[in-house]
Amino acid sequence: MDIILKRNTPHRAIRDESMKPPMGGWLPGITFTSLQIRTLNAFVDQLIPPGGGFPAPSEVDVVAFFARYLAPAGVEPKWYPFIGENQFRSWLDSLGGAFAQAESAEQLEIVASVERSNPGFFEIVRDMAYYAYYSRSAVITTINRELEAGKDLRNAPQPYGYSDTTEEWDERLFGQITGSYTRTEDVRRVEIPDVLRGTSSKGTEE
Amino acid sequence: MRATSRDETDVLVIGAGAGGAAVSKRLSDGGIRVICLEQGDWVNPMERPHMYDSWELERVRSWDWRGNVRQAPEDYPVTGNAAPMMMSGVGGATLLYAGAWPRFKPVDFRKGTEHGVEGTIDWPISYEELEPFYTINDAELAVARRVGDPGNPPRPDGWGPATKGGSLGNLVGAGFNKLGWHWWPADNAILTHDREARLACNDCGFCLSGCTRGSIASADVTYWPRALNNGVDLRTNARVERINVRAGKATGATYIDRLSGQRHEITAKIVVMAANAIGTPRLLLMSAQAGHPDGLANSNGMVGRHLMFHSWAADDFWFDRPLEGFKGVETAVAYSQQFYNTDSSRGFVNGFSLQVGTSLGAANSALGTNTGRRAPWGKDHRDYFANHFGRHALIQVQGEDLPVATNRVTLDRDVVDSSGLPAPHVHYEVHDNDRRLVEWGRTKALEAAHAAGNVVDTATTGVRGLSEPAPGWHIMGTCRMGNTPEDSVTNKWNQTWDVPNLFITDASSLTTGAAVNPTSTLQAVAVRAAEYIKHRFTDIVSQSVTPGNADAPTM
Repeated sequence: MDIILKRNTPHRAIRDESMKPPMGGWLPGITFTSLQIRTLNAFVDQLIPPGGGFPAPSEVDVVAFFARYLAPAGVEPKWYPFIGENQFRSWLDSLGGAFAQAESAEQLEIVASVERSNPGFFEIVRDMAYYAYYSRSAVITTINRELEAGKDLRNAPQPYGYSDTTEEWDERLFGQITGSYTRTEDVRRVEIPDVLRGTSSKGTEE
Repeated sequence: MRATSRDETDVLVIGAGAGGAAVSKRLSDGGIRVICLEQGDWVNPMERPHMYDSWELERVRSWDWRGNVRQAPEDYPVTGNAAPMMMSGVGGATLLYAGAWPRFKPVDFRKGTEHGVEGTIDWPISYEELEPFYTINDAELAVARRVGDPGNPPRPDGWGPATKGGSLGNLVGAGFNKLGWHWWPADNAILTHDREARLACNDCGFCLSGCTRGSIASADVTYWPRALNNGVDLRTNARVERINVRAGKATGATYIDRLSGQRHEITAKIVVMAANAIGTPRLLLMSAQAGHPDGLANSNGMVGRHLMFHSWAADDFWFDRPLEGFKGVETAVAYSQQFYNTDSSRGFVNGFSLQVGTSLGAANSALGTNTGRRAPWGKDHRDYFANHFGRHALIQVQGEDLPVATNRVTLDRDVVDSSGLPAPHVHYEVHDNDRRLVEWGRTKALEAAHAAGNVVDTATTGVRGLSEPAPGWHIMGTCRMGNTPEDSVTNKWNQTWDVPNLFITDASSLTTGAAVNPTSTLQAVAVRAAEYIKHRFTDIVSQSVTPGNADAPTM
């Protein structure tokens, strides 16, 4: 059937939203087994150790963030972090219960071995851990408390923004500024050494 | 292929981004009937990530600036060695730009005269000829500005004052002063006072995924509401397949409704291309037909050539004091144009701006800010984060890149979009001149940072920018306006030399790229072209040959 569009009015055809990644991740998120949760928590706690007043990732539920952003089974993992549920579960299962129960030093060595043996996958897990950890309200609150540079940080840019605490321009700066520009009628040929005139790009055609 | 419906209009505009929106609105102000075809759709403010706790991740996912990463149905794939910043939708790439709003300088229109390297030509118009249209466009968008910049020609008052500098702007500004270098608060197409339904910026620090408040002057909240009120027929999800030509004149275009798959044909007296500097050459090349075997407007083989991206380096500097770079405008707090003009004793032609920017939130800080320098995992993570988060300033070297003929857009028929149309193929290599320019500029960025304060750490992308070979944030020059049918694709009124009623009004038409963000200039050029069409509609429609610059009817 031909769709004849009316002027300036949205047409009735329905957009297929499954063709785009859902903002905020897939809700309600995948459900990990209790062992998978312990394993993931142990892993991310090695990546971002607690200290200086900051909580451990396992204390602020970074697992829930992973659960939203891993592509659920049946959905192609075509968007960041480019990892699907089944692949991630398999990886956690491969670490096994021994990892979750190991001493910290042993866990550290295993994390380092993952980095060496599968750097691409490790990089994504590490980056996801950073995205997750620094999105948690408890961590933002800690930044507010512990870091002078972060005392005003909020959990998201909107709706509040930062106009209440953003510094205005220091008017004293403007009396010192110098500058000039070349008027159209004053543009002249500049002396170009042959070495500059002769340079070129690789000049390859594809 | 069989068209299944037909419509007729005075002017058909292809693309609803910066150029297409400006043309549609300005033409319809004059009572000209306009149909605009846009392959994307409207974006609702709630589709943006600004209120989500995962807003920093969404920037590399649903709001990545590369269509190849977003992979939305309205995006088309781009092959080759660069993945430029592009967006399909009502507003085009302005949907995710940050509204940095510098103007080109007078010298930028005379680079052929100044040096002519790599066949660089002068623009066929001067800064003074374009200035009235910069001013019209600035008023349409409500630009924030501090007047008095001694490094540029006088500009009119903005709608509101310049966006705030924050601790970061004041620190770096003081550093420039210490060196005696030019600098100035950046003009931004961002509201600092409310205007109609758009709210003033609340300094949220997150600009490059657009704006939920309408503060950033994306075309969907500036030109389009007024254009629709004028009666412009904007058709979304309408992907153009071909510009149609008969007897040397454009007759309109055929498009595919992406949702139904049905083809439609629009007939028009004038066709205006505004599909960006990759999409426009792609479509012209796709429109090869009888009498135009190499694509439309391409009898001299110039369509797609002279692709410019700007040459970049992003340098992150961390200081020993809080700078709170998660606040304010994201990309353009201030700029220095101390090294803008050619001084060949430096070992290169052209020049650069040093653009001062910010750093987003806590996750982005841990993930390497603007240069990919990630916080280490493990025992050193905590100290690294504490010493880097909120203590950062970005100084970007934004260099003018030469318009190199072999940097170009072609068609890749082995890869197709969701409608089966061939992908554009992009080939771009950083010119030796531009590489030297950026390396030299980096030494000046470092000098500025050290003058500003106690730098405790630095990192850089190097010449490559944020991705190899260059970020492609700004895509320009692939259908440049020029002086003769031999040196360009259009005349000085944006009229293609080969097809008199076919105009090009996006950044394709920029003859050179200057060393500043291009949207204010491309939109001023689009406004100028629209005013010309409005005033000379009957003349243009009656032309069988595109007039030379000296012979063309005046405005």
